[in-house]
Amino acid sequence: MLRAENLCVRRGAFELRASFEADEQGVTGVFGPSGSGKSVLLRTLAGLHPAVEGRLALGDETLDAPGSRVHTPPHRRGVGIVFQDARLFPHLSVRGNLAYGAKRAPRPAVWTLEETARRIGVDALLDRPVRALSGGEKSRVALARAILSAPRVLLLDEPFAALDGRARRGFVTLLLELNRDARMPMMVVTHQVEDAAELSDRLLAVKSGAVIASGPAAQVMNAPDFRPLLDVRDFGARLPAASVARGADTAARGVWVRADAVLIAIEEPRGLSAQNVWNGRIRGIEREAAGSFLVSVDAPPGPLQARITSSARDALSLEAGQEIWAVVKSHAI
Amino acid sequence: MLSEQEWIILGTSLSVALRALAFSLPLAIAAAWALSRPKLPGRSVFDALVHLPVVLPPVLVGFLLLLAFGRRGPIGSWLENTFGITLAFTAEGAALATAVMTFPILVRSIRISFELADPELFDAAATLGAGPWDRFFSLALPMAAPAVLAGAVTAFAAGLGEFGAVITFAANVPGETQTLPLAIYSALQTPGGEAQALRLGGLSLVAALAGLVCAELLQRWAVRRMAS
Repeated sequence: MLRAENLCVRRGAFELRASFEADEQGVTGVFGPSGSGKSVLLRTLAGLHPAVEGRLALGDETLDAPGSRVHTPPHRRGVGIVFQDARLFPHLSVRGNLAYGAKRAPRPAVWTLEETARRIGVDALLDRPVRALSGGEKSRVALARAILSAPRVLLLDEPFAALDGRARRGFVTLLLELNRDARMPMMVVTHQVEDAAELSDRLLAVKSGAVIASGPAAQVMNAPDFRPLLDVRDFGARLPAASVARGADTAARGVWVRADAVLIAIEEPRGLSAQNVWNGRIRGIEREAAGSFLVSVDAPPGPLQARITSSARDALSLEAGQEIWAVVKSHAI
Repeated sequence: MLSEQEWIILGTSLSVALRALAFSLPLAIAAAWALSRPKLPGRSVFDALVHLPVVLPPVLVGFLLLLAFGRRGPIGSWLENTFGITLAFTAEGAALATAVMTFPILVRSIRISFELADPELFDAAATLGAGPWDRFFSLALPMAAPAVLAGAVTAFAAGLGEFGAVITFAANVPGETQTLPLAIYSALQTPGGEAQALRLGGLSLVAALAGLVCAELLQRWAVRRMAS
């Protein structure tokens, strides 16, 4: 398990401070706006940026402790990283790239090269030169290469950046399966709140060079101080995946239910196509800058947020403490 | 087509240029790598030293070699006493003089390739478990291979034509240190030797052109590989 205590790293004028514990087996999400320091954090964990203060440990082993002059170089850390831009070696084929990782693994990887390639869906590409690959294929090859290097923890820096909607969903599912089957702890950087909700067991919230919250994803993502990290259109709440009738991603840890996807009814609705109808109670109502209202609801699966217009609020005369029904359309998530 | 004497001259030239290359290539790779590191202390001084043979008169380079590597020079006498190696006025000496003169060509070509290599690829290799030496041999060198080859061919072609430093340090001994340019010079010093000088000149031209065309093709291949 990765543990950072008052870890501090400086890059030019930028300073990042972090204290957190990553998930021992599962996926730790690293979420925050662009430029908040997510990539710097990952590079520091991989040993590519030296820390200037604090301590970083993996299990019982101290990786960084500038106070006692400890800095384990990247090649001795057993910390794998998949970069946003894949960084495949141009003079090697896909197979050559995978073998590069496998050859240097300190212990046998969970699967053979062929098996890894098959699971990640790059087995048909093995003999291609890397310059002939698409963005999505490159990301997959980089992931396979990192897994074959048998890291103790695998870091992924916005692995979805090069991917569009459907390919991105496929990659999320792939990561969840790999985490389960390879039993390899992962830290995944993303600035998409949906991805963070689906992937993360634990979550680090990063803002302006500081880890402002870390803990179980449900707790961090539904806390009030998580909202400033979000775009207004992304406001919402994280629910456990099992509570939403969709069935697509059984491995998903959670779903992000955007406030724009939630309806409020003051009577029990009947004859709706929506399958998620929960009886709950209004915890609070806030007026937003744009004139709309954000309604916080306590419902059986967890807290929810709903965005309604001011005329809707007046028509339903909603108030805190009132009993309501919240309706979520599965496909709107 | 060629007389026996011309074959010997061509053979001496090729052997001197090849030996010069074999001697200077590993050092040039090391120097190019060092010079491509932005944090190297004293980089500009080192860079200037490497490029000195380009700007100094070749005769002076030969003379300086003679002072250092001659039998009474500090390095020359040590080599002779310790290993029994004599460089001045020998084929080995001609190779050394050629190596010094063509060193900057090699370094320049290889260094550019090292500088173009994406440092982020080395970070990626490190996180895959490759240490510094491993990264050099598994990434930096193979990626620079086309430039190393092109530089080697150019340096070899230039080595075939080296004159001033060679004649000063290794003299003009037929069958030993008499390379093509030295033989041309001898022919011109001989009354009625113009025809012979022209024949040897043609030979030089063919050898150098072949080398340069090879270098150009390799260079294009390298640029294509870097761009993709």
